[in-house]
Amino acid sequence: MILLGKSVLGMAGVVLAGAGILCSEGLVHVKVVERKPPGLHISVIAPAMLAPIAVHFAPQRDLAQAAREIQPYVPAIRAALDSLRDTEDVVFVDVKEPYERVRVSKLGGAIVVDVDHIGETVHVSAPVRAISSTIEQLAAASSNSL
Amino acid sequence: MRETMRRRTQIATVLCLLVAGSMAVVGPAIAASAEKYLHVNVEDPTRGESVNVNVTLSMAERILPAINNHNLHNGKILIHNAEMNGVDIRALLDAVRTAPDNEFVTVKDKDSDVRVAKASGNIIVHVIDRKNKEQKVDVTVPLKVVDALFNTVKNDELDIVAALRALSDAGDVLLVTVQDSSQKVRVWVDSQNTQD
Repeated sequence: MILLGKSVLGMAGVVLAGAGILCSEGLVHVKVVERKPPGLHISVIAPAMLAPIAVHFAPQRDLAQAAREIQPYVPAIRAALDSLRDTEDVVFVDVKEPYERVRVSKLGGAIVVDVDHIGETVHVSAPVRAISSTIEQLAAASSNSL
Repeated sequence: MRETMRRRTQIATVLCLLVAGSMAVVGPAIAASAEKYLHVNVEDPTRGESVNVNVTLSMAERILPAINNHNLHNGKILIHNAEMNGVDIRALLDAVRTAPDNEFVTVKDKDSDVRVAKASGNIIVHVIDRKNKEQKVDVTVPLKVVDALFNTVKNDELDIVAALRALSDAGDVLLVTVQDSSQKVRVWVDSQNTQD
């Protein structure tokens, strides 16, 4: 009985540690709510650490093309992400129209995009560190494909 | 004697708490004031539209040198058809810098009023365009920013990064306002991360 208890405790510890490692880079949150019928409602919360790992599993041809397209902008993106890490929370862009509002902001180490349209709302939040890791993966893929 | 010591200790403790408290209140304000923001605000009440942009100057300073595209290279922009042939812009700037505060150019006709002046270390341009929806344009640029902009080796390029650095040191300033019958545009620099 004691052995079983220790085993369960050990497994719970492993699961907790794994979850802790997975969530160490924060979480990516994508939420889409459609107001019109059929009223699509999608909410995905995934560990941000999976994003750069997912790049490894992307089809090589598509990855190479994406990497080539992003290559000229990598230095600027890298500089932007570096300075974003040091920037305090701020709303970078806020566009208001009669039937739509778009906000791009930095909130607690994540880039947040909110689109509030008359027919739907979209919320995307991704940690700066995860975006940075993914961009580095893409840049590496580009240099490998050359 | 012991009573006096105790009293002094109490006063010292209260003083320490006061200093710590005031540092806690003032400290973040000092830290926050170090970062300068470039704000752009476009309001169109007739259409119910508005655009707000807030960017830290330090971020722009870091990103611009990384963009090498078209006429922008290493934070400097190349101006090909600047029509500056025959005009020594640096000598012109030097003359403006050393001149006392004054109104340099005043043009008035039935369609527009244009005024260019120097006041309190700033170059000020006022334009009223009557033909174009009564459009009013006010531009105020600190001379130090203009100097930094033109402080380049080549005559046909502007150092945007140096100008941003100078702008960062120039304090809070309202750079541009454009107003016509429907829209209002404002560009300014301050230490607030919001436009409130």
